[in-house]
Amino acid sequence: MTRRDLLSLFVSLGAVAQITKLKGGSLFKVDPPKGVDFVLRNSPTPRKYLIETMPGGIALLDYNNDGFLDVFLVNAGRVPARMRSPVDFDRRNPSYWNRLYRQNKDKTFTDVTAQAGLQNAGDANYGMGVAVGDYDNDGFPDIYVTNFGKNVLYHNNGDGTFTDVTAKAGVAAGGWSASAGFFDYDNDGNLDLFVTRYLDWTPETSKTCGRVGDPMYCPPGEFPPTTNILYRNRGNGTFEDVSADSGIAAKKGHGLGVAFADYDSDGFTDIFVANDATEQFLFHNNGNGTFTEVALDSGAALSSSGKMPSGMGVVFQDYDNDGLPDLLVTQLPHEPYVVFHNDGKGSFSAQELETGFGAISGKSSGWGVGLEDFDNDGWKDAFIVQGHVFDNVEMYDSSLRYRDAPLLALNYRGHFEKGDLGSNLPTAGRGAAFGDLNNDGWIDVVTTSLGERPQFYLNRGGKLHWLTITLRGKRSNRDGFGARVQVNGQTRFATAAGSYLSSNDKRLHFGIGKAESADVEIRWPSGVHQVLHGVKANQFITIEESERS
Amino acid sequence: MIRALLSVYLFLQMQVAGPRVTPEVSRLLQSGSDAESRNEFDRAIADFRKAADLDPSSTVVLLSLGDAYVKKQDYAAAISPLKRAAELSPDSLPIHQLLGYALLSEGYAAEAIPHLQIAHDSGALGIAQLQADQPAEAIVNLRAALSKNPADPDLLYYLSRAGSALSSQSEDKLLLSFPQNTRAHEVLGQHYYAMKMLPEAVKEYEQALAQRPDLPGLRMELGEIYAARSEWVQAEEQFREETKLQSGNAEAAYRLGDTLLQEGKMTEAAEKLHRSDLLRPDMPETLYSLARATIVSNPASAELALNRVIEIEKQTPLAGQAYLLVAGIHRKQGKTEQAMREMAEYHRIQTLTSRGRE
Repeated sequence: MTRRDLLSLFVSLGAVAQITKLKGGSLFKVDPPKGVDFVLRNSPTPRKYLIETMPGGIALLDYNNDGFLDVFLVNAGRVPARMRSPVDFDRRNPSYWNRLYRQNKDKTFTDVTAQAGLQNAGDANYGMGVAVGDYDNDGFPDIYVTNFGKNVLYHNNGDGTFTDVTAKAGVAAGGWSASAGFFDYDNDGNLDLFVTRYLDWTPETSKTCGRVGDPMYCPPGEFPPTTNILYRNRGNGTFEDVSADSGIAAKKGHGLGVAFADYDSDGFTDIFVANDATEQFLFHNNGNGTFTEVALDSGAALSSSGKMPSGMGVVFQDYDNDGLPDLLVTQLPHEPYVVFHNDGKGSFSAQELETGFGAISGKSSGWGVGLEDFDNDGWKDAFIVQGHVFDNVEMYDSSLRYRDAPLLALNYRGHFEKGDLGSNLPTAGRGAAFGDLNNDGWIDVVTTSLGERPQFYLNRGGKLHWLTITLRGKRSNRDGFGARVQVNGQTRFATAAGSYLSSNDKRLHFGIGKAESADVEIRWPSGVHQVLHGVKANQFITIEESERS
Repeated sequence: MIRALLSVYLFLQMQVAGPRVTPEVSRLLQSGSDAESRNEFDRAIADFRKAADLDPSSTVVLLSLGDAYVKKQDYAAAISPLKRAAELSPDSLPIHQLLGYALLSEGYAAEAIPHLQIAHDSGALGIAQLQADQPAEAIVNLRAALSKNPADPDLLYYLSRAGSALSSQSEDKLLLSFPQNTRAHEVLGQHYYAMKMLPEAVKEYEQALAQRPDLPGLRMELGEIYAARSEWVQAEEQFREETKLQSGNAEAAYRLGDTLLQEGKMTEAAEKLHRSDLLRPDMPETLYSLARATIVSNPASAELALNRVIEIEKQTPLAGQAYLLVAGIHRKQGKTEQAMREMAEYHRIQTLTSRGRE
């Protein structure tokens, strides 16, 4: 019997006091590790340039393959009091560098940014997000940084250093990029790249809203929508912009978050884009290099109240263990975070109320988001970073706050209830990345917040069991992104993308309750079907793609 | 309205014009009237002024001059000759009416009132009373005027303003005279709520409830504030108490049901919303929330409720949302074509709504 089964029993017995006691235990301790001195410098100005309130991303990756997760943090830049294109964001100043922190064996971190050759973010780039993937299948994770300006692809040389290969790869994009993610849309074994773009915005078209004397950031509807970008990996270190040919560029929106999964089990990875204050996009992969946007007709565009969510972050995983990937989209307050339940046969229904998010959200703005099994009971919980867009929101609505604590929502067999995070520290939260930082089998969280250091939520752990899987693709892409992995009735879709502007630990973590062993079933993007029986619990395993099913 | 009504008085001057004027004055009156009929008001005014110089005690001359000024929309200049005309002919209704209009147009509402009372012009009188801070009296006269012209948009506008003004005046009196009274706290709570000062509003309602916990309506209003803050547990508590106080109140049952819906307590939400529908049938919002509460557990019942919403609302945004939910039910049931038809209806209503906004 798991802790939650016990809770259910107590509920039926009316043992309210017991429940309170059991729920009293916090899951995390907020513990800033030694060596991480990064501050997300967004440089807010009285002119309320919209870019100031949107950064920044974080990635959890093992860049040197030493078995310990490292942390990459995207910084923003110095915003001049009066912006004029081209803008110099002073990114050569170390205060505004992106930072790579290598995790040491003693769980401290060392800043290796300069050593790794990552100190040059581009002076005209105001930093936003990060995506991680091994695009050249050489076994070392590469880093793609999105910006307002030009994006940058850093190739991991495998010796602790990176090389800026943006020009050669042809993935600079331009405009205002937000979240990005690597995935293999054509199942050719090479990771392609999807980049969301937020607005058609320039310093010259910037404006402020709000009252005279109390300006605030303008809502996205004040600026024209723009297109997202899909880059196809040619397999030779270069990419081709196929946004138009694939149909991705046919739709304009206010893209912020992106997540991938094969929602209709047709063997091809689909794309969900969280759009801010417009209909959400669900790009169905037609399997022939093209996509059709089907969000509205499949029930994944609007909330259950029929409203267009102010989509920020998104995660595309199965929360109710029915084997189908569902969507959790964070958004602005006064509406709950949106849950699109995958009903099968390619259709979704908005079920934020049925899942309990109506009761526990709606008071805050949500950004980074993850569906991870934090208590290893076999049900994925939700963690959402919060904080309002407007740094002066209290002046306009006294019931809202600029700084807010994250939301931990524990999953009780598909119904979510607020859990004890272990900290109510309010921050202007933005990015969030999920992974097992200390390799103890319990998922940790690192979040970013404007003007502050990142927060490290270290899982206190417990007695329940777990299994963490690293995929190694052979015919499929080496990261195994796009694989569907099932463990003891739970399903995860292999990806590092999701959340907001951030990139997660690519390892697949499963809480398996009291089970001593697990059956593992993998459907690789190549079509290979692989089954492992009786895999011992509480271990990290690497599964290499077999030659045939 | 005033300008339109003034034209009616063109002919009235003839009724009050005395017969004994000199031929020169008569000629000037005629010449002025001719110019006026050609909209040459400056020339008309010049003729009437000459006539007034020649015969300063002629009511018809003074009225003609005042009327010409009014037509020229120079109300300030009209007041003096019309006042003199009223002194000379205190029983003349047209003179008082025209003078009342001129004074009202210049912002002398209080001074206009006695003249409009003499003229028995309830519409203009109501407007003057509203502007003179007499909303209760204004409402009586505006309603009387509306009974004669029920589709007059100006009268409807002023009646609405008078209603608000009376409400404000009563509230001010309540707050000044009984600042610690339950109702005073309630009114303050309403004001804070309107100003989005929700914590302050809650405080006022809590003070009101401390005094009169059983006063119907208070908990419903407080519950709405909590609901606006997405504080559903507190909202539920208040709405639940309200339904105990007013078990036959459909609105209270709806609010409780809708709050339970937000909390994901679908079974009880459906029960309360169903009760609300029984108490006051065919309220579209109730039916829509009822559908949302039952859409997973009982899609057939949800579909019935949504179809009723569509029947009642036809092409409103709520009807569009109902189509969206029905399409979801049918999509889940594999009725793809039906779902597509409903989505087409949804899109059609969306287009209509956005055109309406434009």
